Amino acid sequence: MTTLRAFTCDDLFKFNNIQAFLNFLSQYGIPFYLQYLAHWPEYFIVAEAPGGELMGYIMGKAEGSVAREEWHGHVTALSVAPEFRRLGLAAKLMEMLEEISERKGGFFVDLFVRVSNQVAVNMYKQLGYSVYRTVIEYYSASNGEPDEDAYDMRKALSRDTERKSIIPIPHPVRPEDIE
Amino acid sequence: MTVHLGLSGYYLDNGNNKMAIQQADKLLKKHKDLHCAKVLKAIGLQRTGKQDEAFSLAQEVATLEPTDDNSLQALTILYREMHRPELVTKLYEAAVKKVPLSEEYHSHLFMAYARVGEYKKMQQAGMALYKTVPKNPYYFWSVMSLVMQAISAQDEKLAQTMFLPLAERMVEKMVKEEKIEAEAEVQLYFMILERLGKYVEALDMVRGPLGEKLTSELQSRENKCMMMYQRLQLWPECNALSYKLLLKNPDEWQFYLSYFDSLFHLMDKSWSPPNEEEHCVEGPVHTTVAEAVKFVVDRMEEEDKKDSRPLRGPYMACLELIHRLRQRGCPDEEELGDPLELMLQFFGKFGDKPCCITDLKIYLHLLPPEQHTQFENRLGELVPLGEVGEDGFGFPGDTKALQRHLCVCQLSRVLGLQHTLDTEGKLCLITELKAHYHYGLQFGKSCLKTELQFSDTYCLMVAHVYIDLWTETGDENMLWQCLGVLEEGLSYSPSNAQFKLLLLLLFCRLGAFQPVVDLYSSLDAKHVQHDTIGYLLTRYAGSLGQFAAASQSYNFSLRFFHSNQKDTSEYIIQAYKYGAFEKIPEFIAFRTRLNQSLHFAQVRTERMLLDLYTEADITSSLEESVKAMGLCPEEDDIPWDNMRDNRDLTVLFSWDPKDRELTEEHRRLSLEEESVWLKVRSLTLRLLASLALLGHAPSKRNSDKTNENGVSAKSSTLQTLLSQLDLTLQTAAQITEKQTQYPFLGPPSSRLASALSSGSCHCQASALQLSLTLQELETTGLDDSSELQTQICNSFKSLIVQLQELLSRCKGDVLEMKDSRLMTQPSLLETLVFFVETVCVVLWVASYSASVLRPLKSSLQKKKKKKTKDSSTAMPVVLSGFQEWTGSLQGIVTQALDHVKGQEASLTALKLAALTLGVGHAQTQEECGFTRAAMDKVQTSYLGSLQELGDLLRKRADSLKSLKF
Repeated sequence: MTTLRAFTCDDLFKFNNIQAFLNFLSQYGIPFYLQYLAHWPEYFIVAEAPGGELMGYIMGKAEGSVAREEWHGHVTALSVAPEFRRLGLAAKLMEMLEEISERKGGFFVDLFVRVSNQVAVNMYKQLGYSVYRTVIEYYSASNGEPDEDAYDMRKALSRDTERKSIIPIPHPVRPEDIE
Repeated sequence: MTVHLGLSGYYLDNGNNKMAIQQADKLLKKHKDLHCAKVLKAIGLQRTGKQDEAFSLAQEVATLEPTDDNSLQALTILYREMHRPELVTKLYEAAVKKVPLSEEYHSHLFMAYARVGEYKKMQQAGMALYKTVPKNPYYFWSVMSLVMQAISAQDEKLAQTMFLPLAERMVEKMVKEEKIEAEAEVQLYFMILERLGKYVEALDMVRGPLGEKLTSELQSRENKCMMMYQRLQLWPECNALSYKLLLKNPDEWQFYLSYFDSLFHLMDKSWSPPNEEEHCVEGPVHTTVAEAVKFVVDRMEEEDKKDSRPLRGPYMACLELIHRLRQRGCPDEEELGDPLELMLQFFGKFGDKPCCITDLKIYLHLLPPEQHTQFENRLGELVPLGEVGEDGFGFPGDTKALQRHLCVCQLSRVLGLQHTLDTEGKLCLITELKAHYHYGLQFGKSCLKTELQFSDTYCLMVAHVYIDLWTETGDENMLWQCLGVLEEGLSYSPSNAQFKLLLLLLFCRLGAFQPVVDLYSSLDAKHVQHDTIGYLLTRYAGSLGQFAAASQSYNFSLRFFHSNQKDTSEYIIQAYKYGAFEKIPEFIAFRTRLNQSLHFAQVRTERMLLDLYTEADITSSLEESVKAMGLCPEEDDIPWDNMRDNRDLTVLFSWDPKDRELTEEHRRLSLEEESVWLKVRSLTLRLLASLALLGHAPSKRNSDKTNENGVSAKSSTLQTLLSQLDLTLQTAAQITEKQTQYPFLGPPSSRLASALSSGSCHCQASALQLSLTLQELETTGLDDSSELQTQICNSFKSLIVQLQELLSRCKGDVLEMKDSRLMTQPSLLETLVFFVETVCVVLWVASYSASVLRPLKSSLQKKKKKKTKDSSTAMPVVLSGFQEWTGSLQGIVTQALDHVKGQEASLTALKLAALTLGVGHAQTQEECGFTRAAMDKVQTSYLGSLQELGDLLRKRADSLKSLKF
């Protein structure tokens, strides 16, 4: 039970009670958020609990060439506060992002996830995503941890009737080779 | 040539500014008038700190009104780096005049105006652009600029009668000509109609063919219709639409609210559907409680039947409906069931979810107090715990059971059941919660460092109960144990922000700032958080004498605030480009909210004060320091009437019952208190700036009329600021009389009360007042000023008495061991800081006094030499008084230094290891270890503060020596 609505700048002031956000927000600066709000406001959705607490949010964009059938929705960030987990909220937010991408005529939706993040990988698999390719050292090192590979996971949308976009690429690619 | 140009640019891109300048110079030798090379050189100069050279070089090019892309772009970059965006507009104004058909330059001009917020010019530039290249976006840029003129208009009438109607007509023209193309254009049209209050028109538009373009956002049309129904109070439509949307998605909370709102409005109006088939355009309307009850009950039954995970919405809606019926005194709530049973049912279904507590918390008021214990017991029956062991506790077998148990504990606390326990009861509770905490750690053995432990919440609750005990009994042991338990928690769950925040708060309350620095940095607070939670840090850093850390923490915040201006303009421009028109006012409001932030004003002020306290008259003179800061006493840049309190005052988790929670009144009082304290500080700062400029007074009196006028203008500023300070201190006294107590986890009290009670404010004010009298003496001279001189001497004496009293309030042991207990008196530390700050102010005034008296004395000596025969002239009282004064000041500073030294010695001598911990309360060896570590941190931090204060006092003592004649 949630109120789903467009993310606004004022929400940035409310993020503190949510640990995951504390961690997540740290990665990006204000410009990052404003850029998404300016360019893809419809892809930036926040979930609010009846008491006004922020439960989670999703942030994404549409990109890629239509001619090459690479026009797609991309999940940039998805985060649910620990106290609102196990309610199916992430699935709901993903569903919304997919619906928006459908309307824009995307061929697929994709996202990157750390290969070590088994919980997330499994969740995305349950939601119909499959590993399209591995991107070597996509996540750069921090706090003494080594660089880490990412899975590029995809789910075909209805426009891709033959589900061509999700045929896995067997060889890993380097971050500079992805678009 | 392009290659060479590129080379200079290449060096700039790579931060090699010197090479860039050299390359540009080489080029300029060959081609004297190569504009672009000049600008590249200017960028290099700007980046190497040669702003003036850079600027004049750039202006050489700019006055030629260049029209080549390279020069224009390079100049744009340069002006942006110089923070002179207004010059970019001039540049493109000229370029557009010379090349009137350039789409690119017109568009650059529009964006340049956007960057500086010149809405009227944007409107014109947009139209000019559209006339050059008739593309829709350009037309709508112009329309949006009209909307921005409306939003920014001081006069709402102007917005409503001129700007918005004009914008509306512009869009209508396009609608009539069937030229509307994009969704963004429809969005903008909607925005205009909404701002004009033309809700009927807006509704028609959304429902009509134009509305079909609203596709990007999910439920965009429905949401807009709902908004208009509510504005127009079209309750039947509102109700029917909510109903429809809830059938589709029974978990969308906002539509339950609009469903209930509209239902009761309709009931109040005794609305009945017209005798047509359809109730309204949106479909069937509910107008009776019976219908609503059935609707909610049906939704719950649907969920009950489902195989998949049930949604919480319908069950919460049921409680919400009871709440609303009860508010209206409507007896029908019984049809929905007993709230107690319903909540138990909710707990049965969702008790293993961490959010269960957040959900139920909202409706606990539906239970009468006499049911609370029964509720707790019944909940307990629903928690599967293992067999009771030796210690008398049964434990959960898995994380779901643990979560249920935790939920009951949290509910019990929110209901106030923990608060009513006596000391013994609370200690037992702590033992039980600790046992659960330690037991639960086994479930999180494989947790990553970034993940929380399942049982962390027990640990946090233990800390809360310890705090209860500490505040109720004053037993500091409770506090030490609390610190220990939190430190232990953090060792198992190193990324638990709540542990860190609470530790941070407790250390601050204990006056120990050193451990706070690491805690805060491990929170990794970024951007807006510097505004929302930065106060936790900046409230205490300076006031506890950790000046280096204070300076650092102000810098964190200031860096964020300063970058904000630049960041937002960039994205306002992007929003125009992508047609995200509704985001433009939002971005501007965001920028304003940050610029008007209370915290921003505070750190700006405190940062400058701190620099003066620690540096002025030590590394450079007060006057130089003031000038380097660009401080102008006449200028007040704090938005007193529009101050925004962006602090997140509930960032620390609390399960306190309603009557102990932070209220709106608390928030108001805290803001009031902080604002008045800020006013005191900002006036002090401006007074110091004023004093510094007085010192600059010309030494030759009466020789230059304009100078003299200059001096009197300065002293009148000083006079004005002094009377403002006086008024502010009166307000401050009224505020502190209220002795507002905030909830422990709420906002910290400001420094106001202790600043007043220590006498530091008044002492500083009298010192500054004295500078005014001295200024008078400077004009009058030594002859015929005996009254003035006596007055000054009295002030000297009075200041000594005040400082002496202030110092006496610092005496005592900040940390001591008594009967195997460790006791703190952090307020002594805070008072000592006030003392040091006050000494700084008094010494600056003393330095000013010396600058006034020295020339008077030397002219007196000259006179004496002339009239050697008459050698009986005694030394004027003010001179002897001053000498006596500096002697006494020296004495006080020495006393203070002795006190600091003494404190340092006794702190170092304290052997905390000798304390026996854990007596009486079941603290394990491990827990005692954490408590000891916390005690060590406090001890070390106190020492650190004392050292910094001692250092500063010593430097001040040195500066005193130079004041003697």
